[in-house]
Amino acid sequence: MFLRNNTPLNRVTNYIINLFLVFILLAILMPIAFMLSASFMSSSEIFSMPYRWIPSRIYLENFYRAVAGNDQSFIFLRNVLNSVVVATTTATLSIMVSCLAGYGLSKFRFRGRNIIFLIIMGRMMIPFEAIMIPMYITAVKLGLQNTYAGLVLPFVLNTFGLFQMRQYLMTFPDDILDAGRIDGLGELGIFWRIVFKNSTPAIATAAILSFRGQWDNLLWPLLLAQKEKMKTIPTYIVKFTEEKYSDEGAMMAVAVLASLPIVVMFLSLSKYFLQGSGMYSAGKE
Amino acid sequence: MKRLILLCLAVLFLAGMYVFAEGSQEAAAVNLSDPVTLTLWTHEDVNRKALEAELIEEFCRQYPNVSVDYQTYPSTKMREILTVAFSADQGPDIFNQSQSVIRQFVVQGRASSLDPEWIGEKTLENVKSRYIPGALEAVELNGEIYGLPLEYTNFCMYLNKGIFRDAGLDAEKDYPKTWEDVLSLSERLVLRNGEIITRRGYDFRYPSYTMQFLPMVEQLGGRLISEDGKSAIVGDEAWLQFFRYMKEWGPTGKNLGGPTYTAARKVFDNNDNEIAMSDSGLYQQGRMKTANPDFFESNDWMIVPFPQWQNAKKEVAGAIACHYYLVNGQIPLARQIWAWRLVDFMLTHSEEYLSRVNLVQPTYSLLNSDTFKAIPYSDVFARDMQKAHLVYYAENSAAINDKFKAAVESAMVLGEDPAVVLSKFRKEVQDIIDSE
Amino acid sequence: MKSIGIEKKKARWGYVFVTPALLLFLIFSLYPMLNAFYNTFFNIKLLSLRPPKFVGLKNYSYMLSSSGFWNSMKATAIFSLGAFIPLSLFSLIFGLIITTRLRHQKTLQLLFYTPAVLSSVVAALIWMLIFDPRGIGNSVVNFFLRTPGVDHNWLTNTGMLRFSTVTIYLWKYIGYFTIIYVTGIAKVPTSILEAATIAGASAMQTIRLIILPLLRPTTMMVTIVTMLNSLKSFSTQYLFTQRGAPLEPIDVVTLNIYNTAMRDLKISHACVMSVLLFLVMMSLTLVRMKSSEKDVTVY
Repeated sequence: MFLRNNTPLNRVTNYIINLFLVFILLAILMPIAFMLSASFMSSSEIFSMPYRWIPSRIYLENFYRAVAGNDQSFIFLRNVLNSVVVATTTATLSIMVSCLAGYGLSKFRFRGRNIIFLIIMGRMMIPFEAIMIPMYITAVKLGLQNTYAGLVLPFVLNTFGLFQMRQYLMTFPDDILDAGRIDGLGELGIFWRIVFKNSTPAIATAAILSFRGQWDNLLWPLLLAQKEKMKTIPTYIVKFTEEKYSDEGAMMAVAVLASLPIVVMFLSLSKYFLQGSGMYSAGKE
Repeated sequence: MKRLILLCLAVLFLAGMYVFAEGSQEAAAVNLSDPVTLTLWTHEDVNRKALEAELIEEFCRQYPNVSVDYQTYPSTKMREILTVAFSADQGPDIFNQSQSVIRQFVVQGRASSLDPEWIGEKTLENVKSRYIPGALEAVELNGEIYGLPLEYTNFCMYLNKGIFRDAGLDAEKDYPKTWEDVLSLSERLVLRNGEIITRRGYDFRYPSYTMQFLPMVEQLGGRLISEDGKSAIVGDEAWLQFFRYMKEWGPTGKNLGGPTYTAARKVFDNNDNEIAMSDSGLYQQGRMKTANPDFFESNDWMIVPFPQWQNAKKEVAGAIACHYYLVNGQIPLARQIWAWRLVDFMLTHSEEYLSRVNLVQPTYSLLNSDTFKAIPYSDVFARDMQKAHLVYYAENSAAINDKFKAAVESAMVLGEDPAVVLSKFRKEVQDIIDSE
Repeated sequence: MKSIGIEKKKARWGYVFVTPALLLFLIFSLYPMLNAFYNTFFNIKLLSLRPPKFVGLKNYSYMLSSSGFWNSMKATAIFSLGAFIPLSLFSLIFGLIITTRLRHQKTLQLLFYTPAVLSSVVAALIWMLIFDPRGIGNSVVNFFLRTPGVDHNWLTNTGMLRFSTVTIYLWKYIGYFTIIYVTGIAKVPTSILEAATIAGASAMQTIRLIILPLLRPTTMMVTIVTMLNSLKSFSTQYLFTQRGAPLEPIDVVTLNIYNTAMRDLKISHACVMSVLLFLVMMSLTLVRMKSSEKDVTVY
């Protein structure tokens, strides 16, 4: 595109830009490299000055302690499973709800449409901490403590996902929908066969957004999942920050293990992750 | 449009009324033979969990209609979880927390008051007479008892003899008796890489402000709150001397330590030449034994009393933190009775708690037992205990502890003028007292 | 042209499609929000069994005259500006740089994005070790500044502490917003750029006169989202104070809300702060939208 002409001046600028880029990348990746190298070190080696990036000895005990937990219960594995179940279910339900609502809000004219859209968007401005207690009381009264439903339902409505779906579906050609109606498909049929099945990129990005939100969630599972076997990874990790067990090596090992699934997902679905960000820029009204 | 909103609101309120209607399920008669499941929430402690699991099993064998759901939480999260759960009337049947946290539950009427007959005692006096004076203070209200103590911890000073030797000192003789000693010894023991400390002589326990720092002020005759409870900060000279000392300790002064270094008691156990002196309770011996058995057996450490100032006006030792087991007062009576019985059953095994988990219960029988006396340096702790009182536990103590933290940090870390720090601290604490 | 009947029927289907979202919204968002608002007019204390008393606007006047609240507003403003300005600026610059690279563009995007993939708890753990006095934070900075042995007091000095919280935030989100710009720039029609090159425009001119105006919708999205998110930031500040950092410089409103409710049990005061924070966010969003409406370029 632009900047492509190879004048000498440009070559110099290019060189400077590349150098700058390398520097920035090093800065961005340094903490991650630190996590990896520290996960193979004993606590005292992590704080050696100057820091040696290569562990003097591969210290695998960290990973054992990370997985076994301080009580050798190996509940970690169950907690990983919980996180997977909760995040996947939330993502699945959330794209259904977002897609339905996004479709309804973008392709149908009805009274209250804009108000509904605006108040749902207003939710983005409420910090979770502010409504945590009434939300908890609601969930308890509905009998959702220590259940997957309780961990999932409050986050099925993903405001961002809904917003993205609406923006995406605004550009969905009306002709195809009308063609479906002419072919005698019911509204649900049109939604399922035409809209849903043709929105894969938007759906995938919304699903990833919602999956990551739940993979990250700390406060809510901490409150609602009181039984060990219902806890999720973030609530497992915070145990390692407890002062009396504070064990920097195992802390980094558990950080590495908790990041593995999401990083694998990121590498295999990178297209959708990156598009997920890109969706914002698609939102031109 | 309007109709839609009205409809939604109507649905919402109807649903709300249904869901949030207060249930009144008060049982008329108390039937103790019905099956009952007790939920117990406590903070994580691996060794205690193992012991309590055994005790609970034994209890349930004796009373087959009782089963127990035992849940542990990170101790730093315990307060929030309890607060939220109780606010939704979903508190556990049995829970434990420190004096300052449980006080709110006692004052707000959330805890069950003990009827001595439930646990086979004739009078409340009999129950009280098991414990040393002051031990039940935080769970007493209007003559009733709302909890029983699980652990009673005061801080004394652990010393690493090896590091003392390394610095040409003899720990047995040169150990610090006064806070002035602590400072001068630390100057001799500290090692640095530039400004960054690699070995500390001594360091404080930073989150425990009212527990460790307040006694220092009290030794000099100062008080956090006046006796009538109406005004904040008594004895300016004492406070100023304390803040000046902290300022000297911090990075703008002699640079001997600070809150961002790894907790002193933890690195003490590692014996990695990182710290020479650290404050902790008797329970630390158990931790040391697990973390570093060689060091524990080595005879290379010792424990000395909580230091006093050279110009101390009265002898005050490190304050005592007490954890209590409480019973939820909003559950049916039968469950309350079973809950109290379980608590009493567990706590009467105080020697097991001591020998297996290093927890001290403040009972006469335990403190006089051979098990207690056989623990290294237990006499040091016991002597200090007599010069100590419970950690400040009023309803607003958590907020005040945070302001105390901010004040110490301003003097110590940011190097602010002690007089300025004090006047700001006084105003903040006064605000908290007045807003009650 | 369709008849009115069909339109009506279609409208009904609109309601059907929106219903699940609406129901979830009513139960898990609107009810808690209204409840929080309702609480501001009573003196409710968590754990208390006494029925709450109606106090009118007293909680509002109390909060607005409390120095703690204004300190929080200040801390929030400093953090938000400190995070929001570099975040929107640098993500635009990085976005531009990445699009000008001819090779390894995808790899660059992936690498920039990686921190955003890690969960916030993991990020907090890593940075807590980095900011330890003996951690690599000091080592790296001292290496570049050639100041061996200096402790930069990452978590204790007022200014450094604020800087540290902003650093983590920037690190975590810069890649995310950079990619938004990359996608936005990719949408600029190539024909316009070619025309500009033929007309002899320099790179800087192309950026200033063509790309930036065309990126306005993206810029608006990015600024609004970064602004709202930085105003809501909580976990970094919370974990830092747990680790022993002084509260006051980083006592952002959300943290104050949390402590007021959970530590002091004064739920009414916490709710007042939530309402005030909501109003601030709302008005900032409206102002930002208004300001960009004026100069939006349609293409």
